[in-house]
Amino acid sequence: MASASWRNLHNAWKIQTRVIHALIIRELSTRFGRENIGFLWIMVEPLLFASLVGLLWSVIKGPEEHGISVVAFAATGYIPLTLFRHGVQRSVLVFTINSSLLYHRQIKIMDFILARFIIELLGCMMAYLFIGVILIATGYMPIPSDIRLFLAGWVLYALFCLSICLVLSPLSEVSEVMEKFIPVTTYIVLPFSGAFNMLSWLTPSMREFLLYSPFVNGMEMMRKGIWGEKVTAYYDVWNPLICSAVLIAIGLPLCRRVRRRLSVE
Amino acid sequence: MIICRNVSKEYRHAGQRKQVLKGVNLTVNRGDRIALLGRNGAGKSTLIKLIGGVEMPTSGRIEHSMSISWPLGFAGGFQGSLTGYDNARFIARIYQRQYADIRAFVEDFTELGAQLRMPVKTYSSGMRARLAFALSLAIEFDCYLIDEIILVGDQNFHRKCRAELFEKRADRTMILASHDTGTVRELCNRAVIIDQGQAVAYDDVDFAVDTYSAL
Repeated sequence: MASASWRNLHNAWKIQTRVIHALIIRELSTRFGRENIGFLWIMVEPLLFASLVGLLWSVIKGPEEHGISVVAFAATGYIPLTLFRHGVQRSVLVFTINSSLLYHRQIKIMDFILARFIIELLGCMMAYLFIGVILIATGYMPIPSDIRLFLAGWVLYALFCLSICLVLSPLSEVSEVMEKFIPVTTYIVLPFSGAFNMLSWLTPSMREFLLYSPFVNGMEMMRKGIWGEKVTAYYDVWNPLICSAVLIAIGLPLCRRVRRRLSVE
Repeated sequence: MIICRNVSKEYRHAGQRKQVLKGVNLTVNRGDRIALLGRNGAGKSTLIKLIGGVEMPTSGRIEHSMSISWPLGFAGGFQGSLTGYDNARFIARIYQRQYADIRAFVEDFTELGAQLRMPVKTYSSGMRARLAFALSLAIEFDCYLIDEIILVGDQNFHRKCRAELFEKRADRTMILASHDTGTVRELCNRAVIIDQGQAVAYDDVDFAVDTYSAL
């Protein structure tokens, strides 16, 4: 009995990974086509965002702030932020947009969300790697002092973004009001994203308040992982973990509920 | 076997409800060729979508012990902005088949030639029907769900469909929604009339067609 259900689970896993793979390829070819650099476009936008904002900041603020290169600081802030914003934008009405694919019963609605999120995740990671190599080579960014801490921060940040998508995509299907609110929400989140400053630069009461934001915790970990001794970081690993778990626990039943009501042309 | 147990489906939109199916019970045996008869809006397509797993019943259960095709109709199953070949590639991936085999079958069956390199949204409904049939025949299912589509297309397409579906795959199960009573009498061994949300099954197709025509 136990081995049979284990085999079922294993089978289901194999089917879903295959489906997500197919969806990713399909999405990439519809969005970017096969001309010129093709799917490499997925990293262009985060890359442009990070480098242009970096340049703008270095004009406004000067080359360094708190002993850290402003360009590098902007890049480390804006790439994760792009993941959040794109992830959310892409998850709006994702079921309706893809509904014709529900004709194939092995495709589940979770696959739509995951496929789109993975594309954004890959794009941002490629952009990060690209910009990181350039900044390290030109001396603006140090070689990451603790790459594991950096990656842990990235994983937590991404997990929280995904869990937000899991709640927002079914909600955007249920109500048009929700759908209209989403662009504003991504803007409101900006001060709580941790993109613009380290917590150690702020007043203690402000710091305490911002530590409730899962984004800030992830961001602090990433920056501590890069700059090491040069910065002081404040973070709690449990905050993004617990917040994500709560959102996932809300999002999954919501997705299921929306799927039951979904009418497909 | 496919068993629908007390299946109901209700659509809600902007506070309004429409109950399409009310407690449908239906058993489809292996090898059956079932015609779904009913007036426009009676719920034929809805029942086909529920059996195909495209939509979920509001209440009741659908059990099946064989592989069921996706509903073959005018809409669904394709991505309009992708080419015919890209759609074939996608289908090959998600159903874990060799793309080369599917491609060869699709080229041969559809006779669409260079059109297969064009986005599906530029196809006529007859061309879509050809592609839909080709893809689902290339995958091989135990049961085919066919929603009206058999009536579109030209003589050549009709002949091919007959040869591939009703002759080569005569052992398969089929559920066919159609208004064409001639086709139904000729091809089906059972018929189901859907009316007022209820489904009534008849073993005598001629009798069912007469009853339907009198509705």
